[in-house]
Amino acid sequence: MNINDIVKTLDGKLVAGGESDRKVGTVVANDLMSDVLLNDGDDILLLTSLASDQAMRTANIVGAMCVVVHNAKPLPQTMCQVADALGIPLVSSPLSKYESCVRIHDFLSREA
Amino acid sequence: MEYSPTILTGGDGRSDDQIMAAHDRRHVRRVSDPGLPVSDGKGEPLVIMELLQRLRVKDVMRDHDIISVVRTDTMHFAQNLMKRYHISGVPVVEGNRLFGIVSINDIILALEGGWIGDPCQKHMATNLVVLEEDMPLAFALKYFENYIFGRFPVLNKERDLVGIVSQRDVTRILMRELTSELARLEGDSSHHGAQQGGGSPAPKSEAALPYYSMRQFVVVRNDLTNAGKAANEIKRMLGDAGVEKKIIRRIAVAAYELEINVCIHSLGGSITFILDPHKATVIAKDKGPGIKDVEWALRDGTSTANDWIRSMGFGAGMGLSNSKRVADVFDIKSTVPSGTTVLCEFNLPARG
Repeated sequence: MNINDIVKTLDGKLVAGGESDRKVGTVVANDLMSDVLLNDGDDILLLTSLASDQAMRTANIVGAMCVVVHNAKPLPQTMCQVADALGIPLVSSPLSKYESCVRIHDFLSREA
Repeated sequence: MEYSPTILTGGDGRSDDQIMAAHDRRHVRRVSDPGLPVSDGKGEPLVIMELLQRLRVKDVMRDHDIISVVRTDTMHFAQNLMKRYHISGVPVVEGNRLFGIVSINDIILALEGGWIGDPCQKHMATNLVVLEEDMPLAFALKYFENYIFGRFPVLNKERDLVGIVSQRDVTRILMRELTSELARLEGDSSHHGAQQGGGSPAPKSEAALPYYSMRQFVVVRNDLTNAGKAANEIKRMLGDAGVEKKIIRRIAVAAYELEINVCIHSLGGSITFILDPHKATVIAKDKGPGIKDVEWALRDGTSTANDWIRSMGFGAGMGLSNSKRVADVFDIKSTVPSGTTVLCEFNLPARG
């Protein structure tokens, strides 16, 4: 699953951070950044409702390949700037985090 | 918390072979803590802190016309050199190997004791504190602060003597660089704004100097907009230094958790990052109010965070335990109300 697949599957829009050819290794759905930091997985797809600079900085610390913010939350301009600076794709999705989890699970199950 | 000045020992009646063998073993001895080589973050503008990190010992040392003696030269000869060149000490060297130093104090003792005609190797100081040429200038300044010596020999990675640095050398180069930096900042006023907040831009030469790095970042209370910048910058520095990715992640996680903790739980403080060839150290130090029960604070899920902090994605009570989990060495000291200091150390395998 790559960025294009994520955008398409989640009815999303790539709003910052640029394109990337990295593929999803681990999916983490969480709004608590300390929980995200606990994860040891690689190429993390971070599904969150946290629309803040900190979500991007946390993503960078764990080497995430993409961040998706849900419920069509307005994204602060600074968050987009941080995403661009760190080169981490930032996707906005109208779906709930739960719905995203279900769709990604279905996609990855098909892919496997 | 301590760091290790390099101390070379030699002489003291041993044969030349023994002394050389001691040098070849690159004997390094740990001494009592002379204090961390960092500022307390209260006084120095970031531009000066950056300068002290960017400049290396080799940028300020004198590396030519080093006035020296050999071990068989007499103390009287050393005295004459000091008199002629207006210096207060001479290194005792053979080839590029440093064996000791004869100081003005040694000369006074020799005159009083009647051994001014003896060879230098009999009375030279052999318990030497030395600097390494790639160390940031901040280390040198701390050495001058913590030791009574007015000058330090400088060694390269092969442990050869490559220069001498005195307080005068440091002052001269610092003045020159500060003048140049101020002129640059006056010509680029936008640069001032870029240095505010939780982090600071990288020194230009950082990437090219992977062996010793030290940075200090100011963390402002409740400034969640900037919190995390220090950890991200530390991650970048580690990447530039060629540290293994898995280790970078552990260090970055600790730095990030500690930075957020200082931001949301304290009155403000600093994150200090020290990288040397063998380990990386992250130190979070705040100005209070301190933790009443450290054992309780170290338990997963315990937090004093308020709703605002939780709404920002923090305050899950995992910060300290996460930092402890990823670090090879973890230490915390807290006093109410003066503040908390947390140390995380990470062992580094040899880098290429």
